[in-house]
Amino acid sequence: MADPRAGGTLPALRTERLGRRYGKVWGLRDCTLEVPAGAVAALVGPNGAGKTTLMEMIIGLLEPSEGSVSVFGQASPVAGPATLAQVGYVAQDHPLYRDFTVADMFHLGRAMNPRWDQKLAQARTDGLGIPLKRKLKGLSGGQQAQVSLTMALAKRAPLVVLDEPVSSLDPVARLEFMGDVMASVADGDLTVLISSHVVAELERYSDWLIVLAGGRVQLAGPSDELLAGHRLLTIPRAIPDAELPGTAVHRTDGDRDSTVLVRAGADDVAERSGPGWRAGPVSFEQLVMGYLRRRSAPMTHGDPAPAGRRSRLNTKAVPR
Amino acid sequence: MIWVTWRQHRGQAIACLALLAALTVYAVIEGTSMRSAFSSDGVTASCLARTQGTGCETGIVAFMNEFGSEVNIAFWSACLTVPGLIGVLVGGSLIARELEYGTWRLAWSQTIPRARWLAVKLALVTGGLIVLGAAMTAVITWYRAPMDQLTGRLEHNIFDFEGLVPTAYILCAFGFAVLAGLLIRRSIPAMIAAFIPWLAIRLVIEFVFRAHFVTPLTTAMAAACHTTGCGYGIGVVPQSTGQIGDLVLGLKRGDLVSYLAPGQFWPLQFIEAGIFVGLAAITLGATIWLLHSRAA
Repeated sequence: MADPRAGGTLPALRTERLGRRYGKVWGLRDCTLEVPAGAVAALVGPNGAGKTTLMEMIIGLLEPSEGSVSVFGQASPVAGPATLAQVGYVAQDHPLYRDFTVADMFHLGRAMNPRWDQKLAQARTDGLGIPLKRKLKGLSGGQQAQVSLTMALAKRAPLVVLDEPVSSLDPVARLEFMGDVMASVADGDLTVLISSHVVAELERYSDWLIVLAGGRVQLAGPSDELLAGHRLLTIPRAIPDAELPGTAVHRTDGDRDSTVLVRAGADDVAERSGPGWRAGPVSFEQLVMGYLRRRSAPMTHGDPAPAGRRSRLNTKAVPR
Repeated sequence: MIWVTWRQHRGQAIACLALLAALTVYAVIEGTSMRSAFSSDGVTASCLARTQGTGCETGIVAFMNEFGSEVNIAFWSACLTVPGLIGVLVGGSLIARELEYGTWRLAWSQTIPRARWLAVKLALVTGGLIVLGAAMTAVITWYRAPMDQLTGRLEHNIFDFEGLVPTAYILCAFGFAVLAGLLIRRSIPAMIAAFIPWLAIRLVIEFVFRAHFVTPLTTAMAAACHTTGCGYGIGVVPQSTGQIGDLVLGLKRGDLVSYLAPGQFWPLQFIEAGIFVGLAAITLGATIWLLHSRAA
C-alpha cells in the first residue's frame, strides 16, 4: 500500500460540516477543520465543549449525525480496518483491562493490529521502568497513561489522537508524558491531536490550535499565525467596538479602561489608534481564553446552549 | 483474537470446568450406588424388557423410592435453571463489561473492526459453551442411565437434561444476555433481563407446546390394567401402555391410551433444540448487526 501521506499534500485530518446530535442536543455542530500532516494540534475547550465527541468521530467510535471526517484523504474511518489502522487513540481516563498484565495488553495489541511494533512497546516500557508482568491495576495513574500511549504508538498509526491524556496525572507525570509524546513526534512521522481543558499545558507543545466551545469551532489554525493575527488593546472605556481595528473578539470593561482582544494584525492596529490606546501581542492563553469567554458572553453568538447540555455530554454516552 | 478471547474469558472457563468437575464427582458417587442398588433391589434384566415383566414391582418401587425421592426431584428441578444461569452469566458481561469499564474505547479502536471482534469472540465462547453443555449432558446421561431404563427419557425433568436440549438452553440464554448487554449496557441488569424471558419461553415450550411437536401414538390399554389397575408417571409400574419408557399423555374414550414412545425422543429433541438454537442465532446475529451498523 502506498503511503497515504506521499507528497505531503493530504491533510492528516479533515472534517466537513461535521455534527453529532444526542437526542435533541447537538454535542458538536458544523465543525469544519483541517490538520496538516506532521502537526501537533491542540484541541482546547471547557468540559462538555464537544472535544470527546469530535475525537470519537475521528476514530470511528461514534457515527456522525451529519458531515464527514477523512483521515489522510480516506473518508469516514468508521468503515473498516484500512482506516482504523490510520488512527491510534488514547481515550479519556486511558481505559485498560485492569486484570491484564502489561505484557497481556501488548499481546492484545499484537493480536488486534497487523502493524504492531512490539520492539517499540517493550523499549518504551523498559525505558519507563514499567514491569511487563505487573497487572494494570497495580500501576500508578501515570504508568497506566504511559501504557495507553504505548498501545497507541505501537499500533504504528500515522495519526495519534489523545483525549485529555494528562488530566488525571500529577504535574511531574504530566511533564513526563508530554515529553514522551513530543519525543515520539520527533522520532517518527506522526501527526498528533491532543485535547485538554488546561490551556497552559498545550502551549509549549502544539503548533496548531483548535478552540472548541459549546459544540462549535471558535478558532482553528496554525498557532503562530493565530497569535500574529491578534492583538490585545487597552482603550478608554467609552470607545465602542465598531471603532476598533479588525474584529473585537472579547472585551472586558474596567472602571475607566477596557481590554479588548481583537482579530487584527500589528499593522492594522498601528494604523488605527487613538489617544490613551495601548496595544500589545497576545499570549497563547489570552488568545484561547478570549475565544472561550466570547462564547459564554451574552448576545455574541446566536446559539444559546440549552440547560443540561454540559452534564449530558459528560456522561460520554456510548454510541447507539 | 483467539488469545484475546481466551485471556478475557479464562476465569469463566475455569469456573465452568469446576462446575463440570463437581457435577462429575456427584454423578460418579450417586451413579455408582444407583448401579449397585439396581441389582440389590432385584431389578433384573427381564424386568427391563420392553414388555414389563411381572414380579418386579417391589424392586422397582424400592429403587424409585430411593433415587426418585422428593428431595432428589426438587434438587433436579432446581438444576433446570442451571443452563440459563450459565448462559446469562457468560453472555451478560461479554459486551456490557466493556461498556461499564470504558474499555470499549480501547477494544473498538484497534485495527480489527468491532463487528469482527464480536463475531470472533461469540464464535469461540459459543464453541466453549457447546463443549460444556455436551460434557454436562454426557455426565448426567451416564448417571441417569439405570433410572432411564425404568422411567424412559420423555418425562419432564428427564427430557430436559438429556440429548441436545441442555446445550441449546445454554446457547439461548447466552444469546439473550449478549444482546441485553449491548442494549442495557450493564452486566447484572442484562443478566436479569435475559434470564426472565429465557425461563418464560423455556417453561411455555415445555408445558404447552412440547407434547404437540410430534403426533402422539394411541394403543389399547394393557390387559393387566383391567384387573390390577395401573397409572402413569415417573416410575409407575405397570404403565397403562404396558411398556416401560412410554410417556402416557392421557386416557381416551374407551380403553385407548394416548402416549409418546421412546422412539420419539430424538425427533422431539431436534425440534426443541432447534427452536432454542434458532433463538440464540437470531439474538447473536442481531447483536453483531447492531454493533456493526451503529458505527457505519
